[in-house]
Amino acid sequence: MSRTTLTAWLFLAPALVLLAVFSFWPVGFGSYLAFTDYSLIRPTHWVGLDNFRYIFGNEMFVTGLVNSVLFLLMVPCVQVGALALAVLVNNQLPGIRLFRAAFYVPVVTTVSVVGIMWGFMFHEQGTLNYVLLLMRAVDAPVGWLSHDGIALFAIMFVTMWRGLGWYMVMYLAALQTVPADMQEAAILDGANRWQRFWKITVPMLRPTIAVCTILSVLAALKAYQEVDVLTQGGPMNSTFTALYYAYDQGLKHLKLPRALAASFVVSLLCIGVALCCLRWLKPKHR
Amino acid sequence: MLTVLAGMALAVHAAAAPVQKIVHQKIEFWTFSMKPKFTPYFDGIVRNYEAANPGVKVEWVDFPWDIIQTKLVTRIVAGTPPALVNLNVPWADEFARDGLLQPVDALLAPERGRYLPSTLQDLTFGGRTYGFPLYSNVAVIAYNKQIFQAAGIARPPRSLDEQLAFARQIAQRTGKAGLCPALAKIDGLMMQQGLDVIRAGRAVFNSPAHVALIRKLADTYKVGGLLKDSLFAEDNFPAAIDAYKGGRLGMLLAPPTAVGRIALDAKDVYAVTAVAPAPLGPTGIADGGWLIHFGVPAGVDKALLPAVGKFARYLTNDANQLAFAKAASVFPAAARASADPFFTTVPPGAGAAEKAVAAGAVSMPHSHTLYVAGVTDYDELRRTLVKAVEAGVTGRQDIQQALDQAVAIWNRKLAKQFSVVGQGVPGSDPSGLLGGFKEHRSLPEKRCWLASQHSSLTPVFGSGFGNTMVTP
Repeated sequence: MSRTTLTAWLFLAPALVLLAVFSFWPVGFGSYLAFTDYSLIRPTHWVGLDNFRYIFGNEMFVTGLVNSVLFLLMVPCVQVGALALAVLVNNQLPGIRLFRAAFYVPVVTTVSVVGIMWGFMFHEQGTLNYVLLLMRAVDAPVGWLSHDGIALFAIMFVTMWRGLGWYMVMYLAALQTVPADMQEAAILDGANRWQRFWKITVPMLRPTIAVCTILSVLAALKAYQEVDVLTQGGPMNSTFTALYYAYDQGLKHLKLPRALAASFVVSLLCIGVALCCLRWLKPKHR
Repeated sequence: MLTVLAGMALAVHAAAAPVQKIVHQKIEFWTFSMKPKFTPYFDGIVRNYEAANPGVKVEWVDFPWDIIQTKLVTRIVAGTPPALVNLNVPWADEFARDGLLQPVDALLAPERGRYLPSTLQDLTFGGRTYGFPLYSNVAVIAYNKQIFQAAGIARPPRSLDEQLAFARQIAQRTGKAGLCPALAKIDGLMMQQGLDVIRAGRAVFNSPAHVALIRKLADTYKVGGLLKDSLFAEDNFPAAIDAYKGGRLGMLLAPPTAVGRIALDAKDVYAVTAVAPAPLGPTGIADGGWLIHFGVPAGVDKALLPAVGKFARYLTNDANQLAFAKAASVFPAAARASADPFFTTVPPGAGAAEKAVAAGAVSMPHSHTLYVAGVTDYDELRRTLVKAVEAGVTGRQDIQQALDQAVAIWNRKLAKQFSVVGQGVPGSDPSGLLGGFKEHRSLPEKRCWLASQHSSLTPVFGSGFGNTMVTP
């Protein structure tokens, strides 16, 4: 091993030790326990796929898994929205800093505050219904969180609202690295604003789009906080997500093997979808 | 010289010995959600006990209620459990089944008769008692006199049917909701109304009587009589009390503590609030009973148990229960304390909060924690039932069909757990709610004590309305 390599490993060592102790080991051990009857209070036995058979035979988990996949619908919306906002706030307009800050505030707001705030908004006698009734857009209050056909989409909207500012900032940073001379050259060649966006900006942003999309996909598949603060899985179990099921079983009911099995499935799903995203979104050339 | 020094040292040691506190026994007890409001009370308990019992060191630890179970399991597994821990009845049942609690009959014995029989009954699983009863929340009806007047109602309801009828009347005449039952605990409501959830090892909540009950709820829901916010949420109490404080709800089924909160947060609504005892069901069981007690975890040193028992009896004696109940507006589980004039007489000029205490005291002897005990994964089964009830009440599915489907799911799961051995234990349950069951052979051995000793698959007590983890 060369001296340079050794030095590199030495610098990496503290971080690797921390990762090993607090990430790799818990993930590996947790994955192993998903195949056992682990209970804290009894000796642990290997039970093979029993926990997985149980969760896949459980309506709440299956609903949760379907809902987690449905959450992926949010990904294109949030990415397109964030990119559009980034392009907008990249212009030097009056008051643009305030606008940027306003979109970033939800990112730094804790989920409990978000839950309380959107709880008021979505309430049957809440702000949203009040405005809609005032505008005569609806005849009766909409059960945003109490109708099983609507609640999941209401939660998806809140998740999207929370994430938008984060991705906007990432795209904004990327936009500011696009060389101005390329844009100027294109202007000289007679390219209009739309052509410059599609032919220069988007290709230059491709690595950022890939990263943001993968992060967004993973966030969608792992959604559970908003569910917990807004609906706790209801109405009629319609807003269960796979990870909320894991939380519910593991931390509320101390059924740890089921929770670990559900987490294992979510992890596999995340890895699979992330690999697909990497394959599809990888820049074709550097 | 050395002799003189040694003599002096001994003399100094001898003189110092009486003032030095020698700790022989340490008793750690856990409560949930008592800090900071009850810190002076528990500090006083600890101080007085230590002063009266030299050699005993008492340590009080308080956790938020939602993490105390995890903490307890962790400490039991680590072999360092606390001597006493605050639990509710469903938790005690589950911990007892898992062998994580010790029966306390021997420790209770000297003063068993001091506690209300109904509270000891709640804590008796398999013929053994698993805790020292501390206090219970009992629901009262707080009602908005203005809304009642506008709806043309002159008195509080005396039965569930009247509650629902009044709720419909309130909705039709005022456009406001009348009632906000905790329908996530529909099993408790069924039991309180004398309707079996499980009989002879099978789910039976799809009978015509059950359908009729759900239909009454559905009819009330349809005309806007039930508060729709969080109606089926696991804990809809915050939504209910918010609606009541906002003048959007006619009746609130809640413990007296909640009436105190209305007094603090919504003075205008409090000014038009009156209270009445919650109606008893046909079973004679009061609404909203939720017993909190001290259990002794498994693994507590046997040598320490007599001292633990002595402290637990002190902690839950009449004087201490009465002091705590007065401070917290809850109801003592000790018989003499619960008969104290504080609970039975209403002082002149008393407000709704004080009257609520007296109204709750009327119900306390009829209070039980309604809960189906002894069923593995009961919460999951209950979720299936709640989903069916929600579908039926909101009109998204035919009630009979929804309940039939839920019953089929329950019976598939119950069949794996139990095999039927009889049609109940004659005389053991005047309400006819209990069944006699035998655990399936394939179940872990630790659960087999249920077969012979558990008074039933379900000591079937609990609540349907306003039953929530309301801490004082």
